[in-house]
Parts: sequence; structure tokens; C-alpha cells
Amino acid sequence: MLIFAAFATANSQILASSGSSDDGGGFIGLAFLASGFIFYAAIYFKYRNTNKRHHHESETEATMLNVQAQDEFVQARKGLSNRKMTGANNNDVRGSQRKYF
Amino acid sequence: MDNPSPPPPPPEGVAPAAGVGQQIPGQTDAPSQASLDPLQNASEPQRVIQTDAGAKDGLAKCARCGATEISLNVATGNLRCGYCRFEWSADNAVEAFSLNADIGALSGLVVGSGSSDIVPSTDEVVTFKCGACGAEVVIDTNHSTQARCHWCRNTLSMNQQVPNGAVPDMILPFRVLKETAVASINAFVKKRRFFAHPRFRAEFNVENVMGVYLPYMVVDINAHAKLSGQGEHQTRSYTVKRGDSQQTKYDADLFNVAREFDIHVNDLTVESSSERRNQNTSQNSNNIINTIMPFDVENSVRYDSNYLAGFTSERRDSNLDDLSPVAITQTEDVARHRVNDTIRFYDRGVRWTQEDVEVRGQRWVSAYLPVWLYSYQQRKSSGKTFLHYVAVNARTGETMGSVPIHQSKLLLVSAAVQVVGTVVGIVLLALGI
Repeated sequence: MLIFAAFATANSQILASSGSSDDGGGFIGLAFLASGFIFYAAIYFKYRNTNKRHHHESETEATMLNVQAQDEFVQARKGLSNRKMTGANNNDVRGSQRKYF
Repeated sequence: MDNPSPPPPPPEGVAPAAGVGQQIPGQTDAPSQASLDPLQNASEPQRVIQTDAGAKDGLAKCARCGATEISLNVATGNLRCGYCRFEWSADNAVEAFSLNADIGALSGLVVGSGSSDIVPSTDEVVTFKCGACGAEVVIDTNHSTQARCHWCRNTLSMNQQVPNGAVPDMILPFRVLKETAVASINAFVKKRRFFAHPRFRAEFNVENVMGVYLPYMVVDINAHAKLSGQGEHQTRSYTVKRGDSQQTKYDADLFNVAREFDIHVNDLTVESSSERRNQNTSQNSNNIINTIMPFDVENSVRYDSNYLAGFTSERRDSNLDDLSPVAITQTEDVARHRVNDTIRFYDRGVRWTQEDVEVRGQRWVSAYLPVWLYSYQQRKSSGKTFLHYVAVNARTGETMGSVPIHQSKLLLVSAAVQVVGTVVGIVLLALGI
């Protein structure tokens, strides 16, 4: 469980975010129920910094040239539950050398 | 289709969309060239930049007094003679080797001669004849490229490249003073004392900080990228009642999205020591050293062993074939993140289903980059050991570290927090908060 708590924080997945599709009712109470795990993870990462790495994707100098854009409307979607697009990967990082296990 | 005539999206920084193949204003056409294999360009031969031309092994003497007692003056960034105090600097490597040449003109594979493949049979321990007294002097290239003659006390330097990875194309001298690094490491550890392991607290001695030149490859890449997929733009959010609770719902427009562009990546830096590239945080704390990047590699100078005097170094043990996959994947990351500037309209995100990054040209040079390193070997109750680092980027001063934790103390306090939190949580849930 401690590893789970640590891993969740490492990925910046604040436990609260799992309730993004909800209205947040009862969230504060739930957060208190996990307070020991959250505390452990916060201290662990403050001391060990296993979640830290060089952000090559943003810290490397790069210039984009001759950008060609194509944007084509497909459809309107109604009543979606998630705040973010399902499967969105435009912020993915795949070249990190850091691994947790 | 729910909406037959939706408005076209206005992505920031991009010409009004809904069209096909629109051009960013103010930028010129540059149609795609023939694509190249990312790792090796079979159609064009590898070109080598000779970076040790004119370099000499043996006695490197002060131009004014002839002494070999030469070392880096960190305060000025110059080499200084220990006898007559004369100071000078090696040539800037970026200018000397034209490493700042237009990345867009790069094609095929260009490598510095100090980045050539390591030949396994090459000796790691090299013997030189002292030019002053004739004695045989041994240099262990695993840790340095200098040694002192045990007879006449002159310093011998190795500046010519041999295919064992010991002499890189360029070196970035230390700029942060040891006193500054010691203060940074002290401050870093001081903020983490309460839950630190008691043995670490007792044994912590910041004076053990060492200056180390670590091996890296610095890569420039000229690439052409094509990304396509779908993006969503939120048009409305609202709450609906479901039973006793309320739920937030979202409406969004879905678009097919494509971006095609050239990308010039400058000074992508990759560890060229296989040990440092292993960043499994359950086994080591090498991620700490990775975190203190980037370095201002544009200020690197031509390699001169005298910059190593008083410091240690680690030898490169990886070849381009080992490092190319990492560099190419990181280039794809850079391209994916850079293109985010043109898709801000899609505030719910973009799901790229196709990503093609064609590398047209790449330039590799090896470098020694400076790090102040405090290391602490923790012996666990299981008998295993774990090496913790606190590292300071000796150019920017960025500090990062790993401090061993007193697990039982942290678990005890966490349990206490959990007990109190559980009581408070139950009360809040009962109140519906």
C-alpha cells in the first residue's frame, strides 16, 4: 500500500484527481481517510526524490519550422464524463531513463 | 454528425484551420527531403570532425615558465600555472569545431573523433615515457587522463584520442566553487534531517564532496515530423443530478488533427556511461545526477587534460549504437511537446495515433560535464547496500539529492497521521463534506 501511495504521487496523480468525473462531494473526507499514505509518500519523495528526472522534452532547446496544420471537424460529443480526452497522449514522455522498479 | 456546420478551431500560433496543409504565417516552405534511417544513414558516409588535431600527449607546459603544474582556476574558468600564475583558456569547442553550424543543413551522421566506437581490446591503462626524465608513467584512463611522474614529479597528460572513450571531444570546466557546492549540499540535507536515517546524520560529512567530470554525448538533430490523430475542444460543462449526488458533464467537439514540421534539436544531452544510464530508482540514485541537467554545453572548450587536475572523471563506455535509440526517442518527445504550442485549442487533449519522426541529420560529440558529488553508501538491515547521491551541477548550481530515510520513524508518524485522519475523515463523510 505504501508503494501504491508512493507510485501514485510519483506520477503526480494526486489522489483527489480520481474524482474528477464526480462533483467532489465527500472528497475532503476521503482525502483524510488516506492521510497517512499521502503523508508517507510526500515525505518519501521529499527525501529520496525518486520521482525527479531531467525534463529533456521541455528543457532541450528545439526550433520548429515550416509548420503545416490540418484541423477537420468530425462531430460534437455530448455528456462526456471525463474532464480530459480519453487516451490523450500529447504530453506523453517515452524517453525517460528513470524507472521505479 | 450532431453538428453539421461547426466553427473551425482557431489553434494558437497556427493559421486558421479547417483547411488542409495550411502554412504558419511568416515561415517559408521547406518541402520534405528524402527520409533517412534514424540510426545510420546508409546513403551518406559517416563524417568525422577531428577534434584532437594538434593535441599532444606527455608534458603539457606553461607557455610562460615551462612548469607542468597546471590546473583549472574555477573562479575564472581559465587554466592557471601553479608556479607563475599565468592564466589562459582552451579554445571554445563549439566555435573550433563549428558545432553551431546550421542544424537545418545537417544531413547524415556527423561525429566527433572522440565519439568513435570503443574498441574492446584497447588498453584502459596507458603507459607514457616522461619527457623530462625518461621514466615510464602509467595513466589509468578509467579515472583520469593525467598522472604524475614518480621520479621527477612532472605531470603527464593524455590529450590524443585512443578508442577507449577516455578522451572526449570537449570538456565543460567547473564554474561553481567547491565552497558554494558544499553550502548547497549542506542546505539540501539540512532541510531533510528529521526523517533522515540516524546513521546518515551521524556520518554525514559534506567535506567528502568530490568534483567529477561525467561522460555525456551532446547531440544535434535535424528531423522532420508528422503527427496525426484526434483532438477535443470543450464547448460546455454542466452538472446533472444523479440520485443523491451531482455529476459534472462535458460537451466537446472532436477534430481530426495533423501537424507536419521540421524540428531542429540543439544540444540534446545523453549519459554515455552505461552505469549512469541505469536509473532504476529501486537499485540506485542515478536519477539524481540526471535531474541536474541541463548544462550550458555551448561553453565547452577543446579537451585539455589539465582541466581534470584536482578532479576525477568517468570514462565513456557506450557507443552511438547504444545511445541512438535513447536520443531518437527523446527527440520524438521534444517534437511531441513542442507541437503542443500549436494545439492549445484542443483543451481536452490530443490523441496522436500516428507519429513519424524522420531524422535527416545528426551530429554527435562526446563531452565531460562537471558535477560536484556527495555520495553515501547506506547499509541496510538486510545486508544490501544502496548508494545515495547529492549532486550539484557545477555550472548552474542546481542541486538534487537522495537522503536515506529512517523507515520505522516515518512509518510510525504516518500511522499516527492515519489514525487522526481516519477519525476526521469519518466525521466529514458523515457530514457529507
